[in-house]
Parts: sequence; structure tokens; C-alpha cells
Amino acid sequence: MGPVTLLEMVRVALLGGALTLERTAGWSFMLSQPLVGSCLAGAFLSAGPEWELWALRVPIGVGAILQLILTDASLPAAQRQHDTATAGVVGTTVAMLGMSRLHEVSTVALGGALWVVIGVTVGLIAAVGGGWTLRFHRARSRVDLARAEHLASMGFAGAFELLYWGGIFRVFIVGALWAWAASLIGLTMLLVILPRLGELLTARRIGFVFAALIGAGLAAAYHAHVAGRKQALRWVALGATVALVLVVVLRRASP
Amino acid sequence: MSDARVRGIDLAVMTARSLHIQVLLTAERMQGLGFAFAILPALRRLYPPREQLAPALSRHMAYFATHPILSGFVIGATARLEERRANGEPIGDGEVDTFKRSLASPLAALGDPLFWVTLRPFAGLVGVLGIACLPVEGMVGADLRLLLCPLLTLLTYNAVALPFRLFGVARGYASADQPGGLLRSLRLVEWNQAISRAGAVGYGALIALVALSLDLGSIRWGVDGRSRVAALTPLVLGAVIGYAGLRRWPGRGVEVGLGVLAAAAVFAATV
Repeated sequence: MGPVTLLEMVRVALLGGALTLERTAGWSFMLSQPLVGSCLAGAFLSAGPEWELWALRVPIGVGAILQLILTDASLPAAQRQHDTATAGVVGTTVAMLGMSRLHEVSTVALGGALWVVIGVTVGLIAAVGGGWTLRFHRARSRVDLARAEHLASMGFAGAFELLYWGGIFRVFIVGALWAWAASLIGLTMLLVILPRLGELLTARRIGFVFAALIGAGLAAAYHAHVAGRKQALRWVALGATVALVLVVVLRRASP
Repeated sequence: MSDARVRGIDLAVMTARSLHIQVLLTAERMQGLGFAFAILPALRRLYPPREQLAPALSRHMAYFATHPILSGFVIGATARLEERRANGEPIGDGEVDTFKRSLASPLAALGDPLFWVTLRPFAGLVGVLGIACLPVEGMVGADLRLLLCPLLTLLTYNAVALPFRLFGVARGYASADQPGGLLRSLRLVEWNQAISRAGAVGYGALIALVALSLDLGSIRWGVDGRSRVAALTPLVLGAVIGYAGLRRWPGRGVEVGLGVLAAAAVFAATV
């Protein structure tokens, strides 16, 4: 079981900071979507050549399920304040680092499903915790508002700009610290808890939870893309038909 | 009468700054501070003396709320209005504020459904569909899905959103005299309708691909119906709890996801 390297955690922190900034500041390039964050975390955390296949599968699995579950079609004002930006990063980091350190605990051959389930679980919990850090930033912004008004009334535009750049820096630091701390806490808890669950982790049980998460993801996607939209079922049927026809054609064409 | 003009470099800097419009978001002013930060290069150009800059900066810190992707249009159009005012046209503080609100409110009303409700989920869905559609390792060399799936999400979203961001300030500045025409020319309702349909088509494709991956005709499901039902149980359980939970508590995907996890863990313990 290798130690968590400083470089790994620095990468996680930088990624967490950048994604928090992307989501909070208003860049909105969608780098902060769970699928993107998970895959970026997977790419940054090289688990080594012996984990090549799972190092690809686990981030994609964690990212896809979190993407479906956390895709919320309601307006941001109507949502609870959760940090979905770093959820994928923290979930994937804990899953990847846990996988390379605890693989002997569960030798069940399920194509990495256990680590995907762990990653999704940690990601969902991290989304709740990340919401608290966002509240901290909002509270600080209220303090900055009074100071910004004072600076503007005096005509100190440069000082106001510095205050604003400071806000940008704070968002980055808060996101980086949160991603770093949440990953370390998650990994520590995993190292403590998972060995105690060794007997309970059977292939059927892991597969059951994994499939239930996929089902939840499909239900969430239904709410995001179909529910409450006019004539949506007609387009759903069209999409399903096209996909089925394409798969049949491609399977016949392949040797 | 002065001849102060906002320059191209100012519009470029305002475009870059508009990317950070939500940093100091507060319930009291929403994006007010971000708006002042973004329009500051134009104000500096138009009101060089500190005693003129101070009131201009202060009045742009007032309450301001629009969709962040479309904020550039309001910033550019307001900069044009400030330019006319600086050059002696009789435009009062109230008129500038009313103009900002009259443009910001419809852009928020049109932008929120398009970018948050429709395009963002659709972009994520395209990435997830990529996982199901792209070939896995062994078929055509290395598994590139780790790279391609997020790229699909980013490209889908930004193909629509990026032009609004990059050219918003310049278009707003150029079209400040016809705000109604500017709003119509963006065709936000049409975009929303088209992407909404594409999302439903994508969801249908996702359901079909998941159903195919279950391989219901395969012998590994067992010959008797009971084993098939048992294998489908967790998927249906998750879908039912997820559907009912989000129907009851919309906007709480995290809590519903954790609820599904807890329920699945309890059921799995009995397996």
C-alpha cells in the first residue's frame, strides 16, 4: 500500500480549484460537469501501468453515473447549494487511490464496479460538503460588497479591481482546499472502513448497488430530458428506434 | 463636448472580464459587483477623472441579474449608452439603470431555460452516450473514451454557448440602439426548442443502448424467468426510487442519489 504522494494531492487541489472557479465565477464552459471533472481527475491521477484498464474505466463510470444523477434541469436558484463541480474529482480521486491501495480487500472480478460504486458514493457526499464551502464564499462576498461600495464611492477603481481579483483567488483556494481535504478524508475513511467490510462485499451485492445507481441515473435523466416537455415521448421513441437500427446495422456489418 | 470613445481593446477586456461576472454574487446585488468589474475598462476610458469615475462605478454596482452567458450583451449595450452620455447626450442615471434592467430581464428569462434547463443536461447526456457508443479498448487500439467523452460534452455545450460569450459584448455595443432587434436576432427560443427535442432523442437512444447492453436474450441470464426478474430488480428499484424522489423533491438529485444508495445497500444485504 503506497503513500499518497504530494504530487497527486497537488494535482487534485489544482483541478478542484479550477473547477470551482469555473462553476462559481461564471466561466460556465462546463468543465465543472461531473463527467468532465471525473475524467480529468482520472487523467491527472496516473495509477500506473498495472492499473491501465481500470484507471480508464473507473473515472468514466463514476463520471457517467454522477453526470446522470447530478444533472439537474431546474434553475440554479431552485437547487440546493451543492458543489457538483468537485464531486466528480473527489469521488474519482478516492476511488482511484483506494483501488491501488486496497485491491486485495475485494478481489471480486466485476470490472471495477466496486470502485465505481465507492466513487459515486463519495462524490454524492462530497457534493453536500462542497455546498458548505460555497456558503462560506457567499458569506465572504457579502462582506466584500460593503468594502467595494466604499472603494467605488471614493473613486478607487484599482483597489476595487484588486478586491475583485481577491475574490477570484479566494474561490480558487477554497475549491482547491476543499478538493484536497475531502479527498484525503474520503481516502482515510475508505482505508479504515473497507477492510472491515471485506466479507460483505460479494459480487452480487456490489452488482446490485451498481445497477440501482444506473437505474437512478436513468430516472434523473428522464426528469431532465422528458418530464414536462411537450411531445417528448415521440422524440424519445425516435431516438430509441434510431439507436436500435444503428446497432443492428453495425453488428451485421462488423466481421 | 468631448469625443470619448470605447475602443476595441476595451470591448475585448470587457469580454474577458464578463467571464468572472458571478465571483462576488450576493443575494442583495446578484451580479452587480461583477457588472461593475466588467464595465470598468469602458468607464475608465469615458470618465478619466476620479471625480467622474466614482459615481459611474457606484451606479453600476446596483442590483443586476441576468444569465451569465448572455451578460456580455448587456455590458456592451450599457457601455454604448455610457459613451453617448459621456459625449453630452442627456441621459440620466435612471435611464441607464432602466435600460440595463429592460435588457437583462428578458435575457435571463430566455437564457435560463436554454442554457441551464436544456443545453447543460443535453451536453452531459451526449458525453454519457459517447461512453455507450465509442469503441472500447481492444476493438480499435487504446480506449480513448476517457478523453473523448468529456470532449463531447464540452464541444456540445460550447458550440452553442461560446459564440454568445465571445461576441456578446461587441454585438451588444453595436446593437444598443435596437435592443428589441438584438433580442429577436439571438433566436434563443428556437435554440431551446431544437435542443430540447435533441435531448429527448438522446434519452431514447440511451434507454435503447442500456437495454441492449443488458443482453436480455443471452443465456447468461438463465433459462428461467425468475433469474431475469432478479437481475432486473436493482435497475428497476433504482429507477423507481429515483423517479419518485425527484418527482417529489425536484432539484435534490444529491439527496435522492444518496437515498437510492442507502435503499440499494439495504436490499443488497438481503441478497
